[in-house]
Amino acid sequence: MKNKNSLLKKITGSREASLVIVLIVLLVVISIMSPSFLSPSNIGQIFRNNALTLLMALGMLCVMLTSGIDISITSTLAFTGMSIGLLQKYDVIHNTLLLFAIGTLIGLICGTINGLIIAKGKVAPIICTMGFMYIWRGMAYVISNNNWASGADVAGFSDFGKDGAIGPYVILTVAYIVFFVMMKWTKFGRSIYAVGSNVEAARISGINVERTIISAYSIMGMLAGIAGVLSVSIYASAQPNMQYGKEMDVIAACVIGGVSMSGGRGSVVGTFLGAIIIAVIAKALPLVGIDAIAQNLVKGAIILFVVVLNVITQRTMDKQALMRREM
Amino acid sequence: MAGKSGRTISNTPSGGLKEKIVSLEGALVLALIAVNILGACLSPTYNFTNIMRESPRYLAEIFMLFGMGFILVLGDIDISVGAIVCLSATVGCLSSNAGMPIGLVILITLATGLVCGMINGFIATQFTELPTMIITLGTQIIFRGIAEVALGSGGSASMNDIAGIGVLRVKVGPFPISFFLVILFAAHFITALSRTTFGRKLYAIGSSKTAAYYAGVEVQKIRFFCYSLLGFLAGMCGMFLLASTYGANTTTGQGFEMEVIAMCVFGGIATTGGKGNLVGAFIASFIIVCLRIALGQINMNTQLILVIIGAMLITSVLIPAFREKFWKKKA
Repeated sequence: MKNKNSLLKKITGSREASLVIVLIVLLVVISIMSPSFLSPSNIGQIFRNNALTLLMALGMLCVMLTSGIDISITSTLAFTGMSIGLLQKYDVIHNTLLLFAIGTLIGLICGTINGLIIAKGKVAPIICTMGFMYIWRGMAYVISNNNWASGADVAGFSDFGKDGAIGPYVILTVAYIVFFVMMKWTKFGRSIYAVGSNVEAARISGINVERTIISAYSIMGMLAGIAGVLSVSIYASAQPNMQYGKEMDVIAACVIGGVSMSGGRGSVVGTFLGAIIIAVIAKALPLVGIDAIAQNLVKGAIILFVVVLNVITQRTMDKQALMRREM
Repeated sequence: MAGKSGRTISNTPSGGLKEKIVSLEGALVLALIAVNILGACLSPTYNFTNIMRESPRYLAEIFMLFGMGFILVLGDIDISVGAIVCLSATVGCLSSNAGMPIGLVILITLATGLVCGMINGFIATQFTELPTMIITLGTQIIFRGIAEVALGSGGSASMNDIAGIGVLRVKVGPFPISFFLVILFAAHFITALSRTTFGRKLYAIGSSKTAAYYAGVEVQKIRFFCYSLLGFLAGMCGMFLLASTYGANTTTGQGFEMEVIAMCVFGGIATTGGKGNLVGAFIASFIIVCLRIALGQINMNTQLILVIIGAMLITSVLIPAFREKFWKKKA
């Protein structure tokens, strides 16, 4: 009896388990309405179309664990993507590996600047990244000089991420495995959690708080850079306005996945499930007759609903814990 | 900026002329003059008449400054204002096209902003555990999402009845009517923040919500009021924007939240709450407006202007940290 009770509690208490249940319910309902939804090619499409969100959600997890936020990521993505696109347009570099290296480096630099200003300058993360959101996006426009790299410009490079290529899947798989291991079993991963849970305690126990925060933003920037290169490859073009406003999707994925806005709580698995749930919902909206134009509205409503639900469950849990103690 | 009694909430500079000049407000006035000289050097058309002619679109933004100042002093933030501007301009435009009289259109536009602000305020006060940033992030998507749905697939709407909205374009001498309104609002809100009990309560909440609560300040009521006020002012911005652009689209008001926050931060209002005053922010807002007009006149890329404002924002928030470091080294 006691055993069964604890198993039940484990399922209802675990964020990941409840997310899996939500996902299964969603998938069952959708595949009843549209049987072709669960075909392997369609699932592959979902992953490919949301590869950028899935990838950047990992970085956002790190940043949000340190109780920060980064809304400059899609601008970093656009700046990196635009640079990569132009390097090919003007026939400077065509080597895929080298382009990825350059993109990663640009993203890393952008992220590190964020981290330095936030950790060393004691600037609120939202303010700092809001500034850079406009700076990097504007820089993307400035370097593009009203040109954009088209499919012909990035011809050879787009083979990496074109429909049917395994490139995006490989990057996603590697990134998720690396982050799962890093966040769970490495000293660095645990120190991110420590800083987010209690800065003072982390500092006293000998963790270099500033360096941890800078690293979190650097990782975020690096992933945004990789996402920028990937985006050029997947969509076979680079414009300054690419992925505009999509940082909300990334934040939403984390929030739905159970990453706490005040830091210290969240997991790689949860983030993954959150991103997938958003992707599935976006894909399913047309099926239930909601116009594509209302997608943002629904997305915003879901985010707000989930964060409010989080608060309410937390409150009831606290109340129950208090009652149990009194008994 | 501790006052004579050592209280940090005393933010108005006191003392002689010298102290006033070296204060932040003095520096801002100098910066304003510098920006105007720069504008005059850069652009041959940078003169009083042209500034006044181009100002209505920018003046509309300044209305939100006062509400945002209050919110930041409280230690909160609202990044949904750009979306509220978009939604209220959209609603105003569509209701005017539906044939409503101009008086009603104005009322509806303002009411839309107020309701949006009240929604923000309601969620922020009912679920105090949530950071206000994530709340307004969510409502931002929702408000703009509603506007997107209302505008339909075209993504934009233009006003049929241009003559009606002309009421808001009336000029008194060279000054547009919104100029006087901004001055009036500035006088009112600056006094409210620095000279009334209400204003002191805002600083108290911003310094420590818990302490303010135990001292008998009705924290949640005031927060709700400030969010509603900011929503109303964003509606006002939407209204004047509608009057100067004759239409609304899905990108209306994009980036306004950053500009308004930037104005406040330049003006010395700390985003951590409890510090700064609206005088500085008000002067800073004119610095940004003059800069934008000047750069706009030399046909600088709008995106590049945003880069410059973004860079200025980052620099200005870094100044306190640098100053602290400098003082520490000296001591």
